[in-house]
Amino acid sequence: MIRVKINPIMAKNEKLSRRFFLKTTGVLTLLAAIPASLKSAYKQVKDFIVIQKKTAPLTISVNKKAYTLDSDTRTTLLDLLRENLALTGTKKGCDHGQCGACTVHVDGERVLSCLTLSAMVSGKEVTTIEGIANDGQLHPMQEAFIVCDGFQCGYCTPGQIMSAIACIKEGHANSVTEIKEHMSGNLCRCGAYNGIVESIQKVATS
Amino acid sequence: MRFFDKQNKVIPEGRVEAVDKVTGGGKYAAEYKVDNLCYGILVDSTIPSGSIKNIDLTKAQQVKGVVGFVTHLQKPNVPGFATEDLIKQSRFGLPIFHTDKIYFKGQPIALVIAETLEDATYAATLIEVEYNTASFQVDFDAVHHNIPLQEAGRERGQIDSWRNAPYVIEEEYNIKSEVHNPMEMHATIAEWTGERHLKLYDKTQGVNNVQQVIAPLFNLEKENLEVVSEFVGGGFGSGLRVWPHVLATVMAAKQVSRPVKLMLTRPQMFTGTGYRPASWQKIKLGADASGKFLGIHHQAKNETSLYERFSDQITRVTRLIYNFDNLKTEDALVPLNLSAATWMRGPGDCTGDFAIECAIDELSYKLKMDPVDLRSKNIAATHHPENKLPWSSNYLLECISIGAKHIGWDNRSPMPNSMKDGDWQIGYGMAVGMWNAGRNKTSAAIKMLADGRIIVQTAMTDIGTGTGTGMKNIAHETTGIPQDKITVELGNSSLPPAPSQGGSTGMSSVSGAIVEASNALKLKLAEYAALINIDFRNLSPDAILLSGKGISRKENPNETVTYADLWEQNKLDNVVVEATSGPGEERKKYAFCSSAAHFCQVRVNVKTGKVKIEKLVCIADGGKIVNEKAAANQMSGAAVGGIGMALMEEKLIDAKIGGLIGDDLAGYHFPVNADAPMIDVHFIGKPDPYINPTGAKGLGEVGIIGTAAAIANAIYHATGKRLRNLPITPDTIVG
Repeated sequence: MIRVKINPIMAKNEKLSRRFFLKTTGVLTLLAAIPASLKSAYKQVKDFIVIQKKTAPLTISVNKKAYTLDSDTRTTLLDLLRENLALTGTKKGCDHGQCGACTVHVDGERVLSCLTLSAMVSGKEVTTIEGIANDGQLHPMQEAFIVCDGFQCGYCTPGQIMSAIACIKEGHANSVTEIKEHMSGNLCRCGAYNGIVESIQKVATS
Repeated sequence: MRFFDKQNKVIPEGRVEAVDKVTGGGKYAAEYKVDNLCYGILVDSTIPSGSIKNIDLTKAQQVKGVVGFVTHLQKPNVPGFATEDLIKQSRFGLPIFHTDKIYFKGQPIALVIAETLEDATYAATLIEVEYNTASFQVDFDAVHHNIPLQEAGRERGQIDSWRNAPYVIEEEYNIKSEVHNPMEMHATIAEWTGERHLKLYDKTQGVNNVQQVIAPLFNLEKENLEVVSEFVGGGFGSGLRVWPHVLATVMAAKQVSRPVKLMLTRPQMFTGTGYRPASWQKIKLGADASGKFLGIHHQAKNETSLYERFSDQITRVTRLIYNFDNLKTEDALVPLNLSAATWMRGPGDCTGDFAIECAIDELSYKLKMDPVDLRSKNIAATHHPENKLPWSSNYLLECISIGAKHIGWDNRSPMPNSMKDGDWQIGYGMAVGMWNAGRNKTSAAIKMLADGRIIVQTAMTDIGTGTGTGMKNIAHETTGIPQDKITVELGNSSLPPAPSQGGSTGMSSVSGAIVEASNALKLKLAEYAALINIDFRNLSPDAILLSGKGISRKENPNETVTYADLWEQNKLDNVVVEATSGPGEERKKYAFCSSAAHFCQVRVNVKTGKVKIEKLVCIADGGKIVNEKAAANQMSGAAVGGIGMALMEEKLIDAKIGGLIGDDLAGYHFPVNADAPMIDVHFIGKPDPYINPTGAKGLGEVGIIGTAAAIANAIYHATGKRLRNLPITPDTIVG
């Protein structure tokens, strides 16, 4: 039942993250030393200010197509895909990094697009479910999901397929147990796990 | 309107929508492109009880991009909600935006509409609400004892007659509330296409139901309200109601005169779209020394909301599976400051069956009888135990014997706590489930084009069960037209009407209509063929063969009138036939059921209490299996749901704050891939002779009814510890 999934982007920048962590904790320690009255004044000011939308220029490549746009700085990669680029194949199942439905590839590694701000992928190559078929020829994993009936309602399916491709690439598809473990960040409420595992086995052994 | 854009060439008899699902092409409710669309976000009550004193929108209004608001103080006119009486008559449930009263924490009290999702989400956080708070109660366990039971159905025999039964089990069972949590969060796009015309893209299990609920609220002609629900990301019962957010979205679109899209957040899915209510049960079960059941007394209570009463009918299943000459059932509802409960997969029966199947298991050990034998001895195999009608078909006994073989039941050591492997205790358990096999009136149409392709249509939704695929398979089987020449359209209220997909009635209901429509097509084409060749006159559907090219007679299959000739000589456009099919006289002569036997092998860790499901076997009698792959998938998926019910699912409620905690997918656990073994599913596969023209009985529910009991019984066999409350978590095993 472990639902933790490390965002590869974060993992790569481990050093940076640690430094960032030390800096922020330092700031928090300082904050703790500030008298309560000042803190409440700060809170009042903060409550009073209504922050307005800010946009920033964003250049991003999705499925090998370049997009240049002014993007709301709050926009996640998931919402950018679904609401701004009309790529609705990537699904929103929780918006909190708890279900895996929004899994896409960023520079070839699986990433939860709901936990990724669109600004973070500037200059990177994003691949979504719409981008893995080749000239109308389904990706072997897409074909395997059809052959093994690896879905029912189909809503978690794009995330499952993106994860499944990465699962094999990561070398974690050597047994049913291993596949199940490394696919456990992608929930399926229909419970189509039999077919999902069989699909991955089929592609991994072909 | 097409259910899919791309043909499944990988497996022609496979899922019609498969390519759209694996390429991300299928459009779910929130994914349609609608011009001038804006976004709605609901704001929820932060208190569980009281009333709204004031809603301050001033800060939220300062967010550029905010287009409007809906609250109980500023809203468009909803004629069907104009008075308290009308609200009551509508039976809608929560009178959203038409009351200042707070019934539960999480109740939607305001809606922000903005140009973008980000603007709406942010503005929603700036709305400030003042409340008058009142006392509340959310603790089912604390208060259900105070609610008196009432008789639920007629008493059978005499409760006192078996008072002195030599073998009696009398125990209580508690099950926590579960939440459907389909992977797609409920969403609606509402677009007023004219003053009196409305279009809804809605996640629902029944487009006609949405039409019937929403149209009268706005005095709309039913046909002027189009509801689209082509791809549905799971339901499990959550889509059988029209929930407050749907009405909220329609009101919002009216308020701002623009189309509005609203998708619930995952936490809102815990309070906005129902749940399986928490329950308490008490079972008293008696038997004689031979193991014959003498009687059962089943009492049950379930939680419900304060604004509508929902009975889960937990004791219904008690009257279905076994012969009890003496039977008494009682139930009660426990109103709490919670949102409305609703049907969840295997509603009522899943809960009631858990208690019965655990009690029977317990009785078997008291009797020193094999649990399989005790059940087989008492199952009502030939007649419905309540109305005494003969079963149209009932292969539950066969399911049990096949399941026992598959799990290796006879290899187990019968004594509890007798099989070990290091720190692991090994146990076997089994249970059965049954569901009344229903069927509802359904219409379907077939449109044939000049090139011989057909389009099969119904308004019924496909929530992942394979309805569309089944429709294609049946149309192919009945007409003979090749699978790749058949297209399916569904999930749209402008198609021939159909009931909601739920209660395992989908395939049973629609299959009859497809067969009837297929036969109507054959007859119609034969009529045209008879104008060319007189031999085609007065044929029965069975005597007519269709192919990819033309029509022929069974008597002389080589003599074909081609569609090209038919069309040319009769100057045809498209040929359209429509048929309606539903239950009839057979319902007075027979009783109908689907059933399943569940067998399970578990390992329980002595030190940590961790439960590993090693094997799960499900053998089902669902009549004719229309598409084996999709059916097996549905059954194994239901078994996964049963694992959740048994071991992890619990809607956590904090009695002090009066609301939910852990209301997301990190806090609410349902099985991930690693929690489930590869599940072994088999079917009896014998068509039911009377239920409908195909003999398919329906499967959605029996896959989960009994699974949790089989697991609990296996845990008892492994550990010797009888656990009667769900979920069974490691702490309850080692504690």
